[in-house]
Amino acid sequence: MQLTSFSFKSNVRRKLIDPLLQRNMKRFGGRFVEARAAVMTEVDNLETIRVAAAAIRDRSLANLDSYLLTFEERARARGTEVHWAETAQDVNRILIEIAQANGVKKIVKSKSMVSEESGLNDAVEAVGIQAVETDLGEYILQLAHEPPSHIIAPAIHKSVEEVAELFSEKHHTPRSTDIPALCREAREQLRPHFLSADMGISGGNFLIAETGSVVIVTNEGNGRMVTTLPKIHVAITGIEKVLPTLNDFSTIVRLLTRSATGQSITNYVSMLTGPRQEGDLDGPEQSHIILVDSGRSRLLGTEMQKALRCIRCGACMNHCPVYQNIGGHAYGWVYPGPIGAILTPSYVGLENALDLPQASTLCGACQVVCPVKIPLPELMRVLREKSFEQGLRPWYERLSVRMWRGLANHPRLYALFTQLGVRVLRVLGGKKKLLHRLPGLDGWTEGRDMPAPQGRTFRELYRKKHS
Amino acid sequence: MRVGLFVTCLVDMMRPRIGFATLKLLQDAGCDVVVPPHQTCCGQPGFNSGDRESGRAMARRFLADFESFDHVVAPSGSCTGMIRCHYAELFPEDPALQTRLNALSARTFELTDFLVNVLKVERLESAFQGSITYHDSCSGLRELGIKQQPRQLIGRVAGARLQEMDKPEICCGFGGTFSIKLGEIATRMADNKCQDALTTKADAIVGGDLGCLLNIEGRLRRLGDETTQVLHVAEVLAGPEPDPN
Amino acid sequence: MSARDNILARVRRGLGLPGDTPGAERGQAQEYIQSAPRGPRPTYHWSDQAARFQERSEKLGTTVDRVSSLSEVPEAVARYLREKALPQKGVVWPGLDTLAWDREGLSLAARGAQADDLVGVTGAFCAIAETGTLMLLSGKDTPAAVSLLPETHIALLDLQRIVPGMEEAWALLKAERGAPPRAVNFVSGPSRTADIEQTIVIGAHGPYRVHVVLYGSADVQ
Repeated sequence: MQLTSFSFKSNVRRKLIDPLLQRNMKRFGGRFVEARAAVMTEVDNLETIRVAAAAIRDRSLANLDSYLLTFEERARARGTEVHWAETAQDVNRILIEIAQANGVKKIVKSKSMVSEESGLNDAVEAVGIQAVETDLGEYILQLAHEPPSHIIAPAIHKSVEEVAELFSEKHHTPRSTDIPALCREAREQLRPHFLSADMGISGGNFLIAETGSVVIVTNEGNGRMVTTLPKIHVAITGIEKVLPTLNDFSTIVRLLTRSATGQSITNYVSMLTGPRQEGDLDGPEQSHIILVDSGRSRLLGTEMQKALRCIRCGACMNHCPVYQNIGGHAYGWVYPGPIGAILTPSYVGLENALDLPQASTLCGACQVVCPVKIPLPELMRVLREKSFEQGLRPWYERLSVRMWRGLANHPRLYALFTQLGVRVLRVLGGKKKLLHRLPGLDGWTEGRDMPAPQGRTFRELYRKKHS
Repeated sequence: MRVGLFVTCLVDMMRPRIGFATLKLLQDAGCDVVVPPHQTCCGQPGFNSGDRESGRAMARRFLADFESFDHVVAPSGSCTGMIRCHYAELFPEDPALQTRLNALSARTFELTDFLVNVLKVERLESAFQGSITYHDSCSGLRELGIKQQPRQLIGRVAGARLQEMDKPEICCGFGGTFSIKLGEIATRMADNKCQDALTTKADAIVGGDLGCLLNIEGRLRRLGDETTQVLHVAEVLAGPEPDPN
Repeated sequence: MSARDNILARVRRGLGLPGDTPGAERGQAQEYIQSAPRGPRPTYHWSDQAARFQERSEKLGTTVDRVSSLSEVPEAVARYLREKALPQKGVVWPGLDTLAWDREGLSLAARGAQADDLVGVTGAFCAIAETGTLMLLSGKDTPAAVSLLPETHIALLDLQRIVPGMEEAWALLKAERGAPPRAVNFVSGPSRTADIEQTIVIGAHGPYRVHVVLYGSADVQ
């Protein structure tokens, strides 16, 4: 996916004045939040399960190579070919090699965020292979030539009117804004593709070391189609997605689906182990898994390792007041919201996504809902520290931070400075006691007045009273 | 009970009357309140901007200024959160210092939390004519669990009627330096907060952190609203006092 | 060095583990896998697994019917299809072709599913009471697409094979089959999407309807 995270601020400016996006975000923004809250009432020991889920993820990560090796061994024993991709480009290369070796002409895909990282669709199209997205949201976006704006609801930024327009134009059908009818239309468009594709690509929510399986957690049924009907199935997933056991998965999935869509469980949870077996009437003849590093291993052993716990539920973005206002595209890469503000700089380089760790008030709403207890605000702060230490922030920002630190560390100087400052600002505030413009604080005064100070500092007044 | 008042930099500079209201509330409840003269800032602005050294320097200063008190009280959930949740972790190399900071953190309280849970204040000699909608500031709410304390106290103010807004727990967009670095998002978030608050038709928007209040008031005034009051909870609880200006 | 070796080496370096390949840790990991402890789960406050299964299934949009024995199942299936004005023909798992479908006027082909099949009849390996979930295993007599391609999925479920949670379902799988088959599909209601304006629409790419016929009695054995 084309990276635009470096221009986050101008992305934001555009998104904040995009009336359609703003209306759409307002219209659906709260639904995930409400659904999650409602379904969590079923879990009377949520905190206990969160702690257990975090511990499961930490255990997987602490011995990641051992679990990956066990996974690989058991997957191979069941006839799955296990491929390893160091970079996003390697993902595309490996996939194209498999496709070309088998004369693949058409690929059907269920949702895979890792394939968004590598821009897989463009890469396979470039060698003459058709790739059809079959998740309804992803299908809409493929028709519209847009990237996803949310990891589980990729087309959340689009209204039914926009989808109606798009379908009518691309399918040459009468325009309808009836949502069930639009879904039926997509089903009818996509069914022939499922039946005629030579390869199915899926993501992998988890890899199970115990059985050498890949698990996908879905609702629409397209994930089952692409892993059942075409003669080749390729699952693409990050190396961090391994879980030791089926029981660990059971613990995690209770929180995953509730945190994501507010469902006790999704319609389908499919665990796939190897290609079709002797005598099977369906299922792919070949099963492949591409294990992707692409920056993940770099996080191990650092403060950022906790970000690898992520199970991609999307709750952090659903609950993020920044995301709710700017949408996912502004973040400029595959993963938006708080987890994106951490993963994007970690995977594509801090210098390429400098504003993302700053794109949070550190309000903590994300941390409270994260099912695997990732300390998202703390990790954003770590990235801010890195930016500051490496001199990546603007000079005036670094200077003002240092000046404030110096001042606050010298109380007498601080007293003098603040006493003078509040007097000046009080005068500038005039009769209404409001500052409409403040040089250097344009970021504030462009949209808000600054209430003027009272004119004397507390310490000054207190000293006078008590002397 | 000897209580050190940590007035916070924002209150010191922008709204001394919140400091005096806090002082009055503590004294009325029988505390022997001391204001250490050399206090400055908790270090959070620098810390959240990526300068750990800001946090470390201010943690040391805070320890020097306040270690001798039975309790420390601040009219801010955000600064109290900084002290309670982040100071000790800034010194992984110095366990002895961490122990001292942890001990002091455990004695440091946000004002309404202190009034309700330590002093067990039952009565307030204050009055407020009108309705109040309360904004939960993020650090206080999520780092310190401050939710019922201010509401309980406002309930004891004669004449005050609490009128909850939709989503009182959602961030107002202040976020310290965020409000300047990403001012456009901050403005939009403040705007949402103002709309939610104004929908209640409350006479006053009240909160426990001056940063949020300046952000909300700043947006409100820019929108042309000159009548809705924006007050710190201490001002409401302490009642009107002659402006020292 | 291969990509595999590079990645594994980076992982070990990152984690601060010595050498290029795991030593004792690998054994510990395998011991953990072997022990496979169960995690905490919400309090299960029900005792009747079938009642819970039915309640949760219906919440998901699955319809549930109960008959007292397997021999009564064809009649129940025919009745359901008639009441819903659905076709009386379709596809059935080869493992279930011994039932008297013809007697009820049903024309069910025992094979894998084809594109134009409108009704698919399957069994279920077991079901989970907690969430109202069917657990289907692929196999030569139990092809996976029968529960996927047709618009209507009818599942026959032995009342005695309803377990409380997913953990018990895995245990049953291990006890009876050892290793998992190619596909284990947990099915919880008809397929759905909420990708347009977060409006839930039943019937995405999979079935529009899931109907469960529970047979047998829970208290014998």
